[in-house]
Amino acid sequence: VRSILAPPAEAALAEAAAPSARLSLVMPRLERRQIALGSIMLGLGCIPFGFGRQGVFLGAYIAVWAMLELSIVVVSGYAGLISLMPFSYVGIGVFATGVATSLWGWPFWLALPFAALATVPVSIAVGAASIRLKGLYLAIATLTFSNAMGETLFKWDAFTGGQAGHTIERPAFGPIDFSGGKGFYVISMLTALALVWMVHGLKRSKAGRAMLAVRDNEREAQALGINATKAKLTALVVGGAIAGVGGAFYAGLLFNVAPSGFQSPLVEIASLLLVVWAVIGGIDSAFGAFLGATALIVQQQVFAGAEKLFAYIGVYAAVVLVSFLLLRPGGIVQVVKIQSERIRENPVRNVPITAALFGSQIFFIWIIVKFASGD
Amino acid sequence: VFLGAVIEVASFGLARGAVFALLALGLVLIYRTTGVTNFAHWGVGLMGLVAYFLLTEKASMASPLAAAFAVAACAAVGALAYRVVFRHVKRTNQIVLILIALGVAQFFAAVAAMGLGFESTTVVQAWLPVSQVNIGDSAVFSTQIIAAAAAIGIGLAFLPWFRYSRTGRALRAVAQNREAASLAGIDEHRYSMIAWAIGSALAGLALLLVVPHSAGGSGGVITSVDTTPFGNFLIPAFGAALVGGLVNLPLAIVGGFVFGLAQEMLILAPTPWRTLRSIIAAIMIVALLLLHTERFFVAKAEQEALEA
Repeated sequence: VRSILAPPAEAALAEAAAPSARLSLVMPRLERRQIALGSIMLGLGCIPFGFGRQGVFLGAYIAVWAMLELSIVVVSGYAGLISLMPFSYVGIGVFATGVATSLWGWPFWLALPFAALATVPVSIAVGAASIRLKGLYLAIATLTFSNAMGETLFKWDAFTGGQAGHTIERPAFGPIDFSGGKGFYVISMLTALALVWMVHGLKRSKAGRAMLAVRDNEREAQALGINATKAKLTALVVGGAIAGVGGAFYAGLLFNVAPSGFQSPLVEIASLLLVVWAVIGGIDSAFGAFLGATALIVQQQVFAGAEKLFAYIGVYAAVVLVSFLLLRPGGIVQVVKIQSERIRENPVRNVPITAALFGSQIFFIWIIVKFASGD
Repeated sequence: VFLGAVIEVASFGLARGAVFALLALGLVLIYRTTGVTNFAHWGVGLMGLVAYFLLTEKASMASPLAAAFAVAACAAVGALAYRVVFRHVKRTNQIVLILIALGVAQFFAAVAAMGLGFESTTVVQAWLPVSQVNIGDSAVFSTQIIAAAAAIGIGLAFLPWFRYSRTGRALRAVAQNREAASLAGIDEHRYSMIAWAIGSALAGLALLLVVPHSAGGSGGVITSVDTTPFGNFLIPAFGAALVGGLVNLPLAIVGGFVFGLAQEMLILAPTPWRTLRSIIAAIMIVALLLLHTERFFVAKAEQEALEA
């Protein structure tokens, strides 16, 4: 396991992976773990039902944001391309779905692959740029792209449905109707989990390993016979398609999306938010994307109520991001891995430390809420 | 009549160009000495604006004095950002550097929203003398001329200083080869901090030149766009810095004026061009990126050090 961001993380991850690698019976253990993980997730997935309409809406919101974060995991986490336009991709998905369902009268299920396909031309354009532009140059180029798309594509009324936007019909599948709150939550969460599973699998596949190799050292990868251009392009197309699917569900969730959210400066804010929380979750892990999305939505709810609180959460998120990048670049996923490994080694010492870590975060959030609602 | 319109639009372009030029100058200085693509540049500048707002509105300080304090505050914030955060990141890890800069940008944008009291728009007073100057039959604001003159003046003063002064030479030494510079007794962290302080002060000055005078004679308005992490100016400022490949200082200033004038002058162009202004800017920036202009300006060793 190689970590994208820094050598200390790499060592720690290798350390975390070592004990299971030593056992010869890795597979059954993994499967048991997967079953346990699956049942935990199923249990967690039922939580929103306990909170009525608001609960399932937020559940679906988390699922949709998880899909959006997954696209960043593929593009930035796996292939190491810093794209500052993820939310523009989402916009393409949103309005492609809008055009297909409300203008052409397609069912949602047909609009979904259409939304994914609609992102491909943009991915190819970015891919063409990424052949020559590395690191910061690509970051600036994508920022420029998203700005330009906001001024053109997302101001094109035939595509966006004007200021009012399109009204999107939620999915129905034969006799089963997913258009209610609960149904939509179930279908979007299932889609998100399927995507998590696919993105997780991608990491182990040939294409995924090529991406990781290109990310770690492009020249070395090419010397080993890996086609770097193909790997980057694959990452961009796959990531873009996931963002397109996420956009379709985003449109379905909100029924109606106005184009102004995809124009400067709102699009930059949203893209930044996506990237920041992908890093906090764990940028090279599919589960991390899910964790990042959950953390984001949960915190947004904690801080909901006033616009005022949003600035506090901005400060908090930025501090968390920078400390994660400096200390635990693998994000929440890495923290969980390291802490659970440490607890296994020395429970007496590390259970309190972990509890203190977790508790201090709750405390900080509580302080912020207290402080902000006080004045 | 047409010439008058051209002059009026050109003065807007020059003022805008001055802001781009000052921002680009700071971007180049910070990138060249510390290897950080400073996506937080606008955010740092915002801190100066917030300081200016607080000093003039809450402490009712005289506005020119408040502006001076605000620029100094920006320098301090920039130095602090380097000391607390960027110093601890290896410059070889570009992805982390970019992500951290984005986080810092978000931090400052949020702090700015707090400092301004969560209003969607905030009115601030002007600190430069505002009057209308008539050139032929067209009226131009004095603040626009002052902004352009300030950018050109700072550029003209800065370049020889960077080239010949002791500090300037040390900064260039750190940029060209950190190890050799350390061996020669130059404290790289100290000079990196100086670069951040100067670059951030320039960012603060850039914002103070444009925002408090955005509404002509009646002061200026800090809009909700201004308090976003990148504002409206950071992308073109990057474009301007890229004219000199993110490493060449004089060309960054020239690039600033090119982008500012192009953005405003295209308003006079016939319809298809006028509406495609952002596309034209995007094409210009991407073309500059694809040209890899930096290879014309720095030695191969320094380029490799930057791209490490």
